[in-house]
Amino acid sequence: MKRVCEDWKTEAFTPDLINGSWWDAFAENAKAASAEIRCVKDNAAAAAEVAKIAEEVKAKEVVVAGDDSDEGIAAACQALQDSGRTVYRDKFEVAEHAPKAELGLSRAEFAVGETGSVVVDTYSYEARVVGMLPIAHIVLLDANNTTENVTTAFKVMARVFKKGYLGFITGPSRTADIERVLSLGVHGPHRFFIVAIGKEEGETK
Amino acid sequence: MKHWTVQHIEEVADEFEKNVKARGGHFFRAKDGDEVKKYVLQICKEQNVKRVVKSKSMASEEIHLNECFTENGIHVRETDLGEWMLAVAGQKPSHMVMPAIHLNRQQCAGFFSHELKEEIPPDIPFMISTARRVLREEFLSADMGITGANFGIAENGAIGLVTNEGNARLVTTLPRIHVVLIGYEKLIPKIEDASKILRLLPRNGTCQRMTSYMTMVDGPTPVIHKVDGKWVEEDRQQYVILLDNGRLKAAHDPKLQEVYQCVRCASCLNVCPIWTLVGGHVYGHIYSGGIGAILTGILGNMQAFGQFSDLCIGCRRCTTVCPGKIPIPDIIDELRSRYVKEHGLALPEKTVFQKILTNRSIFHRLIRIASIAQKPVASGGFVRNLPLFFAGMTKGRSLPAIADKPFRDRFPALEKKNPSNPKKTVAFFSGCNLDFVFPDTSVHVVEVLQDLGYAVKYPMGQSCCGKPVLGMGDRETGKKIAKQNIEAFENAGVDVILTACPTCAETLSHTYHMIFEDDPEWSARADAFAKKIYEFTSFVANAYEKAGRLKKQTAPGAHKVTYHDSCHMRRGLGIYKEPRALLDSVPDVDFVEMKNPDKCCGMAGAFGVKYSEISLPMLSEKIQNIKDTGADTIAVACPACMMQIGGGLDKQAPNIKIRHVADILAENLHK
Repeated sequence: MKRVCEDWKTEAFTPDLINGSWWDAFAENAKAASAEIRCVKDNAAAAAEVAKIAEEVKAKEVVVAGDDSDEGIAAACQALQDSGRTVYRDKFEVAEHAPKAELGLSRAEFAVGETGSVVVDTYSYEARVVGMLPIAHIVLLDANNTTENVTTAFKVMARVFKKGYLGFITGPSRTADIERVLSLGVHGPHRFFIVAIGKEEGETK
Repeated sequence: MKHWTVQHIEEVADEFEKNVKARGGHFFRAKDGDEVKKYVLQICKEQNVKRVVKSKSMASEEIHLNECFTENGIHVRETDLGEWMLAVAGQKPSHMVMPAIHLNRQQCAGFFSHELKEEIPPDIPFMISTARRVLREEFLSADMGITGANFGIAENGAIGLVTNEGNARLVTTLPRIHVVLIGYEKLIPKIEDASKILRLLPRNGTCQRMTSYMTMVDGPTPVIHKVDGKWVEEDRQQYVILLDNGRLKAAHDPKLQEVYQCVRCASCLNVCPIWTLVGGHVYGHIYSGGIGAILTGILGNMQAFGQFSDLCIGCRRCTTVCPGKIPIPDIIDELRSRYVKEHGLALPEKTVFQKILTNRSIFHRLIRIASIAQKPVASGGFVRNLPLFFAGMTKGRSLPAIADKPFRDRFPALEKKNPSNPKKTVAFFSGCNLDFVFPDTSVHVVEVLQDLGYAVKYPMGQSCCGKPVLGMGDRETGKKIAKQNIEAFENAGVDVILTACPTCAETLSHTYHMIFEDDPEWSARADAFAKKIYEFTSFVANAYEKAGRLKKQTAPGAHKVTYHDSCHMRRGLGIYKEPRALLDSVPDVDFVEMKNPDKCCGMAGAFGVKYSEISLPMLSEKIQNIKDTGADTIAVACPACMMQIGGGLDKQAPNIKIRHVADILAENLHK
């Protein structure tokens, strides 16, 4: 799968900019932006949580971006299949089924405390459509990968952003174009879930 | 950062171009809208494009790109919900961030029904899900996606897009061709510079910490689509169009280049007293409000600028919220003066300003004649009704009558009361209003100063400060007036020149300096003159403070008094504490604040008369806020506000009195 950076951990992250200390700010701001955060301790628990969300949003078909080198994604796919969902991972299958699938699953590289955003490396076509076309989207996030603010986030991205497609997601798709009433899910997902790995189980706060 | 960029705009553009091309993108510099259209149509032809989706791009609206597609038989759809509704309705956006803010849900439902040929109820969630369904089909079937850019990074050739709906992500993902239309002002040198823009834009635009989607696209990215029934993956064709349309000229113009600080957040519109009243459509162009007037002028349409630039009343509220600190009213003044230099003033204005104002004796004689001519319609100091087509001017407001005896004729008697051993001699600049309309207030100014131990001089050679002509953009006439005033006061041999009109104070001290920038001799004289200018309330508050007279005191049975901040006083001169402290020091005054004391009363020089339909609702809001305080007196420190609010009170709340701070101080001396 094409990525802006093959290995964010070794090429982009340094402990001064990326560490676990901005988690609380991130969780608070992400929730304020209507993101739904689920905290789990490891990949196995994350896989179970993903399956639970799929049940919650009544997803029959799930489109996924990320290959088996991402252990979190691999475990989640297994859990989804075990619970009877159809999972599409091949890029052409993703392209074909994303418009009809009810749920998308992908990886977020790190999170921004100040804004509640997650940074997504979406160079590949499939990484973009799984996050935009289904009505619900889940990202897996390592809870220790947080940064203070937009400025520090750009310092990190500037180290590796030579080409491709990179951005922030901050909660679900929204509009206030009709009478300034906030409505979710106008073009992209109506619900946006962040499964944070490496935190105590259960909802935060 | 943006300041540096504008100084080096060509280098930055060259680097941006180099990096877009290095990644396999096509790059085109367009001088104007016609070049963009030609180029885009050429792409459509070569690539067999039948359907186009767009995400919000003000630049494409600036050059009317949609019309060009339709005329050439290409199906085009806006995908931002508000823009889509407007496009369906055949309307133009009224706000840069919330384009359809002028529509209600019933109207929106009407447009939905019309577009879809089915009955759509005015239920917001239902309309949203309908839009999702309909627009999803547009995205999936489009050949080409067009976006603007919130920024373009020279260092790596990436463009950034900020949306809440996510439509820009779809426009840059699903179609096989991506066209970017970006103006020079959106270029930034480094990746990290984008963080500065991202910290400003959402907060000021929609009060969010971050919009839902911030997307950066750097070069062609993969697209998966069906070719001859088979799924294939290939690189999307990317075309980046860098649009000039007047932007480069502005970048090299020391006065206009500040516009490059604009991030299009529209916070200036949200606080503009005119915009909030008339809405965006009155401006009749894509960019509305004060900044819109400027952008319209710069982007090659000075004719349109001329039509609506005077909807800016110079209240300076926008300058307090602009994250780029753009001096919007000053740039409008600058463009206005260039416009007049090129096209001249409209004829009646020309006669009044050029022929009359520069000739002090004719001007003053005319005002005296007016004081007689108005007799049939004036009563009790106000002109309450004007005949025929002037009626709009006095609807809801009385205009003040011109006094029988101007201040200049009353001064000689007053001068005799100067202290025999003065602390200092000060000169008084009255300005037109305090000379001819409110001469009593001028008398009170002199009395307060004499009470402080100052002798007062009134140089008879003084004239109008020149603001009316300078405001209209007639700088040549303004210079003539300025020279008369500077000379008159040089001859007075004082080092304090006092005025009780903040607009005069601002003009004498700031504007004179600016208009003589290119004239070393007069520039020096204007600066020496400006150093001597003091505004009445701040000068007196300072003297009272030194004399130990500025203590807050309220006697039993004191009158409730509230205070209105003049725009020029509060934001032009930064004076707002002093008049309040003075009022607080008067035992007979029980000072109360009103709601929005610093919101413009709607007078703004000649604006209040020329645009009475806009000025009057502003005035009514002000009167209501005054009434709500329960005060029986409204204090001001500006004769123009005094004229406007006083006229409104006369018609709408005759029990409330209006007084200049000088009136209240002087009346207190006599007790």
